[in-house]
Amino acid sequence: MSTTLYHGEPNGPSLTVLAALFEKSVDAHLVAIDLTKAERHQLAVARQPELAMGVEGEGPVLVVNGEALTDSVFVACYLDDIGHGTALRPADPYERWSMMAWCRQIIERTAPAAAYLGCKAYPPRAFPAALDAIESVDLRARWDAAVAGHSHAEKIADSENKIIQTVAKIEARLNGRDWLMGDFSIADLESYAWLAGMTELVPAAFEAAPRTQAWMDRVKARPAVQKALALASVAAPERCWAPGPEINRWG
Amino acid sequence: MTDVTLYHWEPNANSGKPMLALMEKGVAFNSHYLDLLSFDQHKPDYLAVNPQGTIPAMTHGHRVLTESTAIMEYVDEAFDGPQLMPTDAQARWRVRWWMKFMDQWLAPSFSMIGWSVFVGPAVRAKDPDVLTAAIERIPLPERRVAWKKAIYGLFSEEEMAESQRRVALGIRMLEQALSEREWLASDNYSLADVNGFNLAYALPLAQPTLSNDELTPNILRWLRAIYARPATKACWAMGRTAMVKRVSILEQPHIGGGNQS
Ligand SMILES: N[C@@H](CCC(=O)N[C@@H](CS)C(=O)NCC(=O)O)C(=O)O
Repeated sequence: MSTTLYHGEPNGPSLTVLAALFEKSVDAHLVAIDLTKAERHQLAVARQPELAMGVEGEGPVLVVNGEALTDSVFVACYLDDIGHGTALRPADPYERWSMMAWCRQIIERTAPAAAYLGCKAYPPRAFPAALDAIESVDLRARWDAAVAGHSHAEKIADSENKIIQTVAKIEARLNGRDWLMGDFSIADLESYAWLAGMTELVPAAFEAAPRTQAWMDRVKARPAVQKALALASVAAPERCWAPGPEINRWG
Repeated sequence: MTDVTLYHWEPNANSGKPMLALMEKGVAFNSHYLDLLSFDQHKPDYLAVNPQGTIPAMTHGHRVLTESTAIMEYVDEAFDGPQLMPTDAQARWRVRWWMKFMDQWLAPSFSMIGWSVFVGPAVRAKDPDVLTAAIERIPLPERRVAWKKAIYGLFSEEEMAESQRRVALGIRMLEQALSEREWLASDNYSLADVNGFNLAYALPLAQPTLSNDELTPNILRWLRAIYARPATKACWAMGRTAMVKRVSILEQPHIGGGNQS
Protein backbone atom coordinates (compact mmCIF):
# COMPACT_ATOMS: atom_id res chain seq x y z
CA MET A 1 0.00 0.00 0.00
CA SER A 2 1.38 3.41 -0.93
CA THR A 3 0.39 6.52 0.96
CA THR A 4 1.50 10.07 0.24
CA LEU A 5 0.47 13.16 2.15
CA TYR A 6 0.62 16.44 0.25
CA HIS A 7 0.45 19.14 2.89
CA GLY A 8 0.79 22.88 3.24
CA GLU A 9 2.39 24.80 6.09
CA PRO A 10 1.27 23.37 9.46
CA ASN A 11 -1.79 25.56 9.96
CA GLY A 12 -5.53 24.89 9.62
CA PRO A 13 -6.38 21.57 7.94
CA SER A 14 -2.75 20.69 7.15
CA LEU A 15 -1.91 20.96 10.84
CA THR A 16 -4.81 18.69 11.83
CA VAL A 17 -3.83 15.98 9.37
CA LEU A 18 -0.07 16.13 10.00
CA ALA A 19 -0.59 15.95 13.75
CA ALA A 20 -3.10 13.09 13.42
CA LEU A 21 -0.65 11.21 11.21
CA PHE A 22 2.09 11.58 13.85
CA GLU A 23 -0.25 10.80 16.75
CA LYS A 24 -1.11 7.52 15.02
CA SER A 25 2.41 6.72 13.70
CA VAL A 26 1.14 6.22 10.16
CA ASP A 27 3.79 5.68 7.50
CA ALA A 28 3.43 8.06 4.58
CA HIS A 29 5.62 9.97 2.16
CA LEU A 30 5.35 13.60 3.16
CA VAL A 31 5.41 16.09 0.32
CA ALA A 32 5.22 19.79 1.11
CA ILE A 33 3.29 21.89 -1.39
CA ASP A 34 2.44 25.57 -1.27
CA LEU A 35 -1.31 25.76 -0.79
CA THR A 36 -1.10 29.56 -0.90
CA LYS A 37 0.04 29.28 -4.52
CA ALA A 38 -2.79 26.89 -5.43
CA GLU A 39 -0.24 24.14 -6.06
CA ARG A 40 -2.77 21.49 -5.04
CA HIS A 41 -4.51 21.94 -8.36
CA GLN A 42 -1.35 20.85 -10.21
CA LEU A 43 -1.29 17.40 -8.60
CA ALA A 44 -1.91 14.36 -10.78
CA VAL A 45 -5.03 13.60 -8.70
CA ALA A 46 -6.37 17.17 -8.93
CA ARG A 47 -9.27 16.20 -11.19
CA GLN A 48 -10.71 13.65 -8.80
CA PRO A 49 -14.04 15.08 -7.63
CA GLU A 50 -13.22 14.54 -3.97
CA LEU A 51 -10.28 16.90 -4.40
CA ALA A 52 -11.69 19.32 -6.96
CA MET A 53 -15.06 19.74 -5.23
CA GLY A 54 -14.18 19.35 -1.56
CA VAL A 55 -16.16 21.61 0.75
CA GLU A 56 -13.06 22.35 2.83
CA GLY A 57 -11.42 24.42 0.09
CA GLU A 58 -7.63 24.33 0.19
CA GLY A 59 -6.21 21.68 2.47
CA PRO A 60 -3.99 18.62 2.54
CA VAL A 61 -4.49 15.60 0.29
CA LEU A 62 -3.76 12.06 1.42
CA VAL A 63 -3.32 9.84 -1.62
CA VAL A 64 -3.98 6.20 -0.76
CA ASN A 65 -3.50 3.73 -3.60
CA GLY A 66 -4.25 6.43 -6.13
CA GLU A 67 -7.36 7.82 -4.42
CA ALA A 68 -7.23 11.41 -3.16
CA LEU A 69 -8.61 11.69 0.38
CA THR A 70 -9.48 15.23 1.43
CA ASP A 71 -11.21 17.01 4.29
CA SER A 72 -9.15 17.12 7.45
CA VAL A 73 -11.69 15.72 9.93
CA PHE A 74 -12.48 12.70 7.80
CA VAL A 75 -8.84 12.10 6.86
CA ALA A 76 -8.04 12.20 10.58
CA CYS A 77 -10.82 9.61 11.19
CA TYR A 78 -9.23 7.45 8.50
CA LEU A 79 -5.79 7.76 10.11
CA ASP A 80 -7.34 6.91 13.46
CA ASP A 81 -8.82 3.75 11.92
CA ILE A 82 -5.64 2.50 10.28
CA GLY A 83 -2.98 3.82 12.65
CA HIS A 84 -1.52 2.67 15.96
CA GLY A 85 -1.64 3.70 19.57
CA THR A 86 -4.21 5.70 21.50
CA ALA A 87 -7.53 6.31 19.77
CA LEU A 88 -8.26 9.83 18.52
CA ARG A 89 -12.00 9.34 18.96
CA PRO A 90 -14.02 8.28 21.99
CA ALA A 91 -15.17 4.65 22.00
CA ASP A 92 -18.67 5.25 23.34
CA PRO A 93 -21.17 5.94 20.52
CA TYR A 94 -22.71 8.93 22.28
CA GLU A 95 -19.30 10.49 22.96
CA ARG A 96 -18.43 9.82 19.34
CA TRP A 97 -21.61 11.56 18.25
CA SER A 98 -20.61 14.44 20.45
CA MET A 99 -17.21 14.65 18.76
CA MET A 100 -18.61 14.46 15.23
CA ALA A 101 -21.32 17.04 15.98
CA TRP A 102 -18.67 19.30 17.52
CA CYS A 103 -16.43 18.97 14.47
CA ARG A 104 -19.39 19.67 12.20
CA GLN A 105 -19.94 23.00 13.94
CA ILE A 106 -16.23 23.81 13.63
CA ILE A 107 -16.06 22.99 9.93
CA GLU A 108 -19.32 24.77 9.17
CA ARG A 109 -18.97 27.90 11.30
CA THR A 110 -15.41 28.37 12.57
CA ALA A 111 -13.37 27.21 9.57
CA PRO A 112 -14.95 29.56 7.00
CA ALA A 113 -14.60 32.44 9.44
CA ALA A 114 -10.94 31.72 10.23
CA ALA A 115 -10.01 31.24 6.58
CA TYR A 116 -11.81 34.44 5.62
CA LEU A 117 -10.04 36.51 8.28
CA GLY A 118 -6.73 34.78 7.61
CA CYS A 119 -6.86 35.43 3.86
CA LYS A 120 -7.78 39.04 4.48
CA ALA A 121 -4.81 39.60 6.81
CA TYR A 122 -2.35 37.49 4.81
CA PRO A 123 -3.59 37.26 1.22
CA PRO A 124 -2.39 34.18 -0.70
CA ARG A 125 -0.16 34.99 -3.65
CA ALA A 126 -1.11 32.54 -6.41
CA PHE A 127 -0.53 33.66 -10.01
CA PRO A 128 -3.41 33.76 -12.53
CA ALA A 129 -2.00 30.77 -14.42
CA ALA A 130 -2.15 28.65 -11.28
CA LEU A 131 -5.69 29.79 -10.58
CA ASP A 132 -6.79 28.74 -14.05
CA ALA A 133 -6.24 25.12 -13.04
CA ILE A 134 -8.94 25.34 -10.35
CA GLU A 135 -11.96 23.38 -11.47
CA SER A 136 -14.52 24.50 -8.89
CA VAL A 137 -16.13 27.79 -9.92
CA ASP A 138 -17.04 28.74 -6.38
CA LEU A 139 -13.59 27.95 -4.96
CA ARG A 140 -12.12 30.00 -7.83
CA ALA A 141 -14.34 32.94 -6.87
CA ARG A 142 -13.04 32.76 -3.30
CA TRP A 143 -9.49 32.69 -4.64
CA ASP A 144 -10.02 35.70 -6.90
CA ALA A 145 -11.41 37.71 -4.00
CA ALA A 146 -8.60 36.64 -1.67
CA VAL A 147 -5.80 37.37 -4.14
CA ALA A 148 -7.29 40.77 -4.98
CA GLY A 149 -7.64 41.55 -1.28
CA HIS A 150 -11.41 42.02 -1.55
CA SER A 151 -13.43 41.61 1.61
CA HIS A 152 -16.84 42.71 2.86
CA ALA A 153 -17.32 44.52 6.17
CA GLU A 154 -20.39 42.36 6.80
CA LYS A 155 -18.48 39.10 6.32
CA ILE A 156 -15.62 40.32 8.49
CA ALA A 157 -17.99 41.15 11.33
CA ASP A 158 -19.80 37.83 10.91
CA SER A 159 -16.49 35.95 10.91
CA GLU A 160 -15.15 37.72 13.99
CA ASN A 161 -18.39 36.96 15.73
CA LYS A 162 -18.10 33.27 14.87
CA ILE A 163 -14.57 33.14 16.29
CA ILE A 164 -15.81 34.81 19.49
CA GLN A 165 -18.67 32.30 19.73
CA THR A 166 -16.33 29.38 19.13
CA VAL A 167 -13.97 30.45 21.90
CA ALA A 168 -16.91 31.00 24.27
CA LYS A 169 -18.13 27.48 23.50
CA ILE A 170 -14.67 26.03 24.10
CA GLU A 171 -14.27 27.98 27.32
CA ALA A 172 -17.57 26.57 28.63
CA ARG A 173 -16.73 23.08 27.46
CA LEU A 174 -13.35 23.03 29.23
CA ASN A 175 -14.91 23.59 32.61
CA GLY A 176 -13.43 20.74 34.64
CA ARG A 177 -11.68 19.00 31.75
CA ASP A 178 -8.38 19.18 29.90
CA TRP A 179 -9.64 18.18 26.47
CA LEU A 180 -12.87 18.99 24.65
CA MET A 181 -14.24 15.45 24.70
CA GLY A 182 -12.69 14.41 28.00
CA ASP A 183 -9.87 12.47 26.39
CA PHE A 184 -7.74 14.06 23.68
CA SER A 185 -9.41 13.71 20.28
CA ILE A 186 -9.68 14.94 16.71
CA ALA A 187 -11.96 17.68 18.05
CA ASP A 188 -9.00 19.23 19.90
CA LEU A 189 -6.79 19.11 16.81
CA GLU A 190 -9.39 20.50 14.43
CA SER A 191 -10.49 23.27 16.78
CA TYR A 192 -6.93 24.25 17.66
CA ALA A 193 -5.72 24.18 14.07
CA TRP A 194 -8.32 26.75 12.96
CA LEU A 195 -7.92 28.93 16.04
CA ALA A 196 -4.11 29.08 16.31
CA GLY A 197 -3.93 32.02 13.90
CA MET A 198 -6.92 33.78 15.44
CA THR A 199 -5.23 34.85 18.70
CA GLU A 200 -3.46 37.53 16.65
CA LEU A 201 -6.41 38.45 14.41
CA VAL A 202 -9.31 38.41 16.90
CA PRO A 203 -7.51 38.96 20.22
CA ALA A 204 -10.70 40.07 21.97
CA ALA A 205 -12.11 36.55 21.65
CA PHE A 206 -9.38 35.14 23.90
CA GLU A 207 -9.18 37.88 26.52
CA ALA A 208 -11.57 36.43 29.05
CA ALA A 209 -10.82 32.82 28.14
CA PRO A 210 -8.04 31.51 30.41
CA ARG A 211 -9.11 27.87 30.08
CA THR A 212 -9.00 28.14 26.29
CA GLN A 213 -5.54 29.69 26.40
CA ALA A 214 -4.24 26.93 28.67
CA TRP A 215 -5.84 24.30 26.41
CA MET A 216 -4.18 25.83 23.34
CA ASP A 217 -0.82 25.57 25.11
CA ARG A 218 -1.56 21.92 25.93
CA VAL A 219 -2.47 21.06 22.35
CA LYS A 220 0.58 22.87 21.03
CA ALA A 221 2.86 21.04 23.46
CA ARG A 222 1.84 17.60 22.26
CA PRO A 223 4.80 15.85 20.60
CA ALA A 224 2.78 15.13 17.44
CA VAL A 225 1.77 18.78 17.11
CA GLN A 226 5.37 19.87 17.74
CA LYS A 227 6.55 17.46 15.08
CA ALA A 228 4.01 18.92 12.64
CA LEU A 229 5.02 22.48 13.49
CA ALA A 230 8.68 21.58 12.97
CA LEU A 231 7.86 20.99 9.29
CA ALA A 232 7.13 24.68 8.81
CA SER A 233 9.31 26.41 6.24
CA VAL A 234 8.38 29.83 7.60
CA ALA A 235 8.68 31.36 11.06
CA ALA A 236 4.95 31.86 11.57
CA PRO A 237 2.93 29.09 9.86
CA GLU A 238 -0.24 30.36 11.58
CA ARG A 239 -0.06 33.27 9.14
CA CYS A 240 -0.28 31.04 6.06
CA TRP A 241 -3.76 31.07 4.59
CA ALA A 242 -5.47 29.96 1.43
CA PRO A 243 -9.22 30.04 0.74
CA GLY A 244 -11.15 27.71 3.02
CA PRO A 245 -14.80 26.65 3.09
CA GLU A 246 -17.35 29.16 1.90
CA ILE A 247 -19.34 31.13 4.42
CA ASN A 248 -22.79 29.53 4.58
CA ARG A 249 -24.96 30.86 1.79
CA TRP A 250 -28.09 29.22 3.22
CA GLY A 251 -28.37 29.27 7.03
CA MET B 1 -41.57 0.26 24.60
CA THR B 2 -38.68 2.27 23.31
CA ASP B 3 -36.54 4.98 24.86
CA VAL B 4 -35.83 6.56 21.48
CA THR B 5 -37.80 9.60 20.38
CA LEU B 6 -37.26 11.30 17.06
CA TYR B 7 -38.42 14.87 16.50
CA HIS B 8 -38.89 15.12 12.79
CA TRP B 9 -40.87 16.62 9.95
CA GLU B 10 -41.42 14.82 6.66
CA PRO B 11 -39.29 11.96 5.30
CA ASN B 12 -37.29 14.52 3.37
CA ALA B 13 -33.85 16.12 3.70
CA ASN B 14 -32.45 16.32 7.22
CA SER B 15 -35.57 14.91 8.92
CA GLY B 16 -35.70 11.88 6.70
CA LYS B 17 -32.06 10.92 7.25
CA PRO B 18 -32.37 9.63 10.84
CA MET B 19 -35.90 8.36 10.13
CA LEU B 20 -34.68 6.10 7.37
CA ALA B 21 -31.53 5.08 9.26
CA LEU B 22 -33.60 4.03 12.29
CA MET B 23 -35.96 2.07 10.08
CA GLU B 24 -33.13 0.34 8.22
CA LYS B 25 -31.68 -0.69 11.57
CA GLY B 26 -35.07 -1.91 12.78
CA VAL B 27 -35.00 0.43 15.80
CA ALA B 28 -38.44 1.25 17.19
CA PHE B 29 -38.89 4.95 17.99
CA ASN B 30 -41.52 7.34 19.21
CA SER B 31 -42.34 9.63 16.35
CA HIS B 32 -42.77 13.26 17.37
CA TYR B 33 -43.95 15.06 14.26
CA LEU B 34 -43.14 18.76 14.04
CA ASP B 35 -44.97 20.71 11.39
CA LEU B 36 -42.27 22.86 9.83
CA LEU B 37 -44.93 24.80 7.94
CA SER B 38 -46.55 25.81 11.26
CA PHE B 39 -43.15 26.76 12.70
CA ASP B 40 -43.38 24.05 15.39
CA GLN B 41 -39.57 23.92 15.42
CA HIS B 42 -39.37 27.43 16.91
CA LYS B 43 -41.87 26.84 19.73
CA PRO B 44 -40.69 26.72 23.36
CA ASP B 45 -41.42 23.00 23.81
CA TYR B 46 -39.03 22.10 21.03
CA LEU B 47 -36.45 24.79 21.78
CA ALA B 48 -36.05 23.07 25.13
CA VAL B 49 -34.85 20.03 23.16
CA ASN B 50 -32.86 21.84 20.45
CA PRO B 51 -32.18 25.52 21.16
CA GLN B 52 -31.07 26.07 17.55
CA GLY B 53 -34.66 25.46 16.46
CA THR B 54 -33.82 23.19 13.57
CA ILE B 55 -35.16 19.72 12.84
CA PRO B 56 -34.37 16.89 13.51
CA ALA B 57 -33.39 16.02 17.06
CA MET B 58 -33.37 12.67 18.77
CA THR B 59 -33.48 11.62 22.39
CA HIS B 60 -32.19 8.27 23.56
CA GLY B 61 -32.98 7.89 27.23
CA HIS B 62 -31.84 11.15 28.76
CA ARG B 63 -29.40 11.92 25.96
CA VAL B 64 -30.24 14.56 23.36
CA LEU B 65 -28.73 14.40 19.88
CA THR B 66 -28.82 16.92 17.03
CA GLU B 67 -27.14 17.19 13.60
CA SER B 68 -28.81 14.68 11.31
CA THR B 69 -25.67 13.16 9.80
CA ALA B 70 -23.98 12.72 13.17
CA ILE B 71 -27.24 11.21 14.50
CA MET B 72 -27.16 8.65 11.69
CA GLU B 73 -23.64 7.57 12.61
CA TYR B 74 -24.79 7.25 16.22
CA VAL B 75 -27.79 5.16 15.21
CA ASP B 76 -25.55 2.86 13.22
CA GLU B 77 -23.10 2.40 16.11
CA ALA B 78 -25.43 2.31 19.10
CA PHE B 79 -27.95 -0.27 17.86
CA ASP B 80 -27.91 -3.79 16.50
CA GLY B 81 -29.10 -4.43 12.98
CA PRO B 82 -27.52 -4.24 9.54
CA GLN B 83 -24.27 -2.25 9.31
CA LEU B 84 -24.80 1.05 7.51
CA MET B 85 -21.11 2.00 7.43
CA PRO B 86 -18.56 0.01 5.40
CA THR B 87 -15.92 -2.00 7.26
CA ASP B 88 -13.09 -0.69 5.08
CA ALA B 89 -11.58 2.54 6.47
CA GLN B 90 -11.11 4.14 3.06
CA ALA B 91 -14.72 3.43 2.13
CA ARG B 92 -15.83 4.94 5.45
CA TRP B 93 -13.88 8.07 4.54
CA ARG B 94 -15.71 8.14 1.20
CA VAL B 95 -19.12 7.84 2.89
CA ARG B 96 -18.30 10.81 5.11
CA TRP B 97 -16.93 12.88 2.22
CA TRP B 98 -20.11 12.42 0.19
CA MET B 99 -22.36 13.13 3.14
CA LYS B 100 -20.57 16.40 3.82
CA PHE B 101 -20.61 17.33 0.15
CA MET B 102 -24.37 16.78 0.07
CA ASP B 103 -25.07 18.37 3.47
CA GLN B 104 -23.03 21.49 2.95
CA TRP B 105 -22.80 22.08 -0.78
CA LEU B 106 -25.52 20.34 -2.74
CA ALA B 107 -28.48 20.09 -0.35
CA PRO B 108 -28.54 23.83 0.46
CA SER B 109 -29.04 24.50 -3.24
CA PHE B 110 -31.83 21.91 -3.57
CA SER B 111 -33.25 23.41 -0.43
CA MET B 112 -33.28 26.98 -1.74
CA ILE B 113 -35.22 25.84 -4.80
CA GLY B 114 -37.55 23.73 -2.64
CA TRP B 115 -38.22 26.59 -0.27
CA SER B 116 -38.98 28.98 -3.08
CA VAL B 117 -41.38 26.63 -4.91
CA PHE B 118 -42.87 24.65 -2.01
CA VAL B 119 -42.26 25.98 1.51
CA GLY B 120 -42.67 29.71 0.79
CA PRO B 121 -45.97 29.41 -1.12
CA ALA B 122 -47.30 26.93 1.47
CA VAL B 123 -47.05 29.42 4.34
CA ARG B 124 -47.43 32.74 2.49
CA ALA B 125 -51.22 32.76 2.81
CA LYS B 126 -51.14 32.89 6.61
CA ASP B 127 -52.05 36.08 8.48
CA PRO B 128 -49.24 38.63 7.88
CA ASP B 129 -48.98 39.47 11.60
CA VAL B 130 -48.69 35.80 12.49
CA LEU B 131 -45.89 35.50 9.96
CA THR B 132 -44.02 38.52 11.29
CA ALA B 133 -44.20 37.14 14.80
CA ALA B 134 -43.13 33.70 13.60
CA ILE B 135 -40.04 35.15 11.92
CA GLU B 136 -39.16 37.10 15.06
CA ARG B 137 -39.06 33.87 17.08
CA ILE B 138 -36.44 32.12 14.90
CA PRO B 139 -33.28 31.62 16.99
CA LEU B 140 -30.62 31.41 14.23
CA PRO B 141 -30.12 34.74 12.43
CA GLU B 142 -29.22 32.97 9.18
CA ARG B 143 -32.52 31.11 9.30
CA ARG B 144 -34.46 34.28 9.95
CA VAL B 145 -33.08 35.60 6.67
CA ALA B 146 -33.87 32.34 4.86
CA TRP B 147 -37.46 32.27 6.10
CA LYS B 148 -37.99 35.93 5.19
CA LYS B 149 -36.81 35.27 1.67
CA ALA B 150 -39.00 32.19 1.33
CA ILE B 151 -42.12 33.83 2.74
CA TYR B 152 -41.88 37.07 0.83
CA GLY B 153 -40.42 35.58 -2.35
CA LEU B 154 -37.16 37.50 -2.01
CA PHE B 155 -34.65 35.04 -3.45
CA SER B 156 -32.62 36.98 -6.02
CA GLU B 157 -32.33 35.78 -9.59
CA GLU B 158 -28.61 35.51 -9.04
CA GLU B 159 -28.80 33.21 -6.04
CA MET B 160 -31.44 31.03 -7.68
CA ALA B 161 -29.23 30.72 -10.77
CA GLU B 162 -26.27 29.78 -8.56
CA SER B 163 -28.37 27.10 -6.84
CA GLN B 164 -29.53 25.76 -10.19
CA ARG B 165 -25.90 25.65 -11.39
CA ARG B 166 -24.91 23.64 -8.34
CA VAL B 167 -27.84 21.27 -8.71
CA ALA B 168 -26.89 20.59 -12.34
CA LEU B 169 -23.25 19.96 -11.44
CA GLY B 170 -24.21 17.85 -8.42
CA ILE B 171 -26.39 15.67 -10.64
CA ARG B 172 -23.47 15.10 -13.01
CA MET B 173 -21.23 14.18 -10.07
CA LEU B 174 -23.77 11.74 -8.64
CA GLU B 175 -24.23 10.12 -12.03
CA GLN B 176 -20.47 9.76 -12.44
CA ALA B 177 -19.98 8.22 -8.99
CA LEU B 178 -22.90 5.85 -9.50
CA SER B 179 -21.50 4.75 -12.86
CA GLU B 180 -18.34 3.63 -11.03
CA ARG B 181 -19.98 1.91 -8.05
CA GLU B 182 -23.26 0.22 -7.30
CA TRP B 183 -23.85 2.48 -4.29
CA LEU B 184 -22.80 6.09 -3.85
CA ALA B 185 -19.69 5.68 -1.72
CA SER B 186 -18.99 1.98 -1.33
CA ASP B 187 -19.86 -1.51 -2.55
CA ASN B 188 -22.58 -1.83 0.09
CA TYR B 189 -25.66 0.18 0.92
CA SER B 190 -24.55 2.82 3.41
CA LEU B 191 -25.48 6.04 5.18
CA ALA B 192 -24.33 7.93 2.07
CA ASP B 193 -27.21 6.30 0.18
CA VAL B 194 -29.67 7.04 2.99
CA ASN B 195 -28.48 10.64 2.90
CA GLY B 196 -28.56 10.89 -0.89
CA PHE B 197 -32.05 9.44 -1.24
CA ASN B 198 -33.39 12.11 1.09
CA LEU B 199 -31.94 14.70 -1.23
CA ALA B 200 -32.83 13.15 -4.57
CA TYR B 201 -35.96 10.99 -4.15
CA ALA B 202 -38.03 13.23 -6.43
CA LEU B 203 -35.17 14.30 -8.68
CA PRO B 204 -36.61 13.13 -12.03
CA LEU B 205 -39.77 15.11 -11.23
CA ALA B 206 -38.06 18.21 -9.85
CA GLN B 207 -35.33 18.39 -12.52
CA PRO B 208 -36.83 16.50 -15.49
CA THR B 209 -34.46 18.01 -18.05
CA LEU B 210 -31.38 17.06 -16.02
CA SER B 211 -32.31 13.69 -14.57
CA ASN B 212 -34.17 10.91 -16.34
CA ASP B 213 -33.56 7.39 -17.61
CA GLU B 214 -31.75 8.64 -20.69
CA LEU B 215 -29.48 11.25 -19.15
CA THR B 216 -28.80 9.76 -15.74
CA PRO B 217 -29.53 6.02 -15.91
CA ASN B 218 -27.35 5.28 -12.90
CA ILE B 219 -29.05 7.79 -10.64
CA LEU B 220 -32.42 6.33 -11.63
CA ARG B 221 -31.22 2.76 -11.05
CA TRP B 222 -29.95 3.83 -7.62
CA LEU B 223 -33.10 5.70 -6.61
CA ARG B 224 -35.33 2.79 -7.63
CA ALA B 225 -33.13 0.31 -5.75
CA ILE B 226 -33.39 2.37 -2.56
CA TYR B 227 -37.13 2.89 -3.03
CA ALA B 228 -37.57 -0.88 -3.36
CA ARG B 229 -36.25 -1.44 0.16
CA PRO B 230 -38.96 -2.17 2.75
CA ALA B 231 -37.54 0.41 5.16
CA THR B 232 -37.77 3.13 2.52
CA LYS B 233 -41.38 2.24 1.70
CA ALA B 234 -42.33 2.28 5.37
CA CYS B 235 -40.50 5.55 5.94
CA TRP B 236 -42.04 7.42 3.01
CA ALA B 237 -45.47 6.12 4.02
CA MET B 238 -45.10 8.37 7.07
CA GLY B 239 -45.14 11.43 4.80
CA ARG B 240 -48.15 13.73 4.89
CA THR B 241 -47.41 16.35 2.25
CA ALA B 242 -47.72 16.39 -1.53
CA MET B 243 -44.00 17.19 -1.63
CA VAL B 244 -43.10 13.80 -0.19
CA LYS B 245 -45.70 11.86 -2.18
CA ARG B 246 -43.74 12.83 -5.29
CA VAL B 247 -41.59 9.79 -4.47
CA SER B 248 -44.15 7.70 -6.39
CA ILE B 249 -42.50 8.91 -9.62
CA LEU B 250 -40.03 6.12 -8.92
CA GLU B 251 -42.78 3.56 -9.52
CA GLN B 252 -42.72 4.39 -13.24
CA PRO B 253 -40.63 1.76 -15.03
CA HIS B 254 -39.26 4.32 -17.48
CA ILE B 255 -38.89 8.06 -17.08
CA GLY B 256 -37.99 9.51 -20.44
CA GLY B 257 -36.35 12.80 -21.27
CA GLY B 258 -39.58 14.18 -22.70
CA ASN B 259 -41.36 13.77 -19.36
CA GLN B 260 -41.80 17.44 -18.44
CA SER B 261 -43.88 18.27 -15.43
N1 LIG C 1 -27.27 20.71 10.27
C1 LIG C 1 -28.59 20.40 10.71
C2 LIG C 1 -29.57 21.21 9.90
C3 LIG C 1 -31.00 20.96 10.28
C4 LIG C 1 -31.95 21.79 9.45
O1 LIG C 1 -31.58 22.83 8.94
N2 LIG C 1 -33.21 21.34 9.28
C5 LIG C 1 -34.18 22.06 8.49
C6 LIG C 1 -35.16 21.10 7.88
S1 LIG C 1 -34.40 20.06 6.65
C7 LIG C 1 -34.99 22.99 9.36
O2 LIG C 1 -35.16 22.73 10.54
N3 LIG C 1 -35.55 24.06 8.79
C8 LIG C 1 -36.53 24.85 9.44
C9 LIG C 1 -36.01 26.07 10.08
O3 LIG C 1 -34.81 26.35 10.01
O4 LIG C 1 -36.84 26.77 10.64
C10 LIG C 1 -28.85 18.91 10.54
O5 LIG C 1 -28.27 18.30 9.65
O6 LIG C 1 -29.62 18.35 11.33
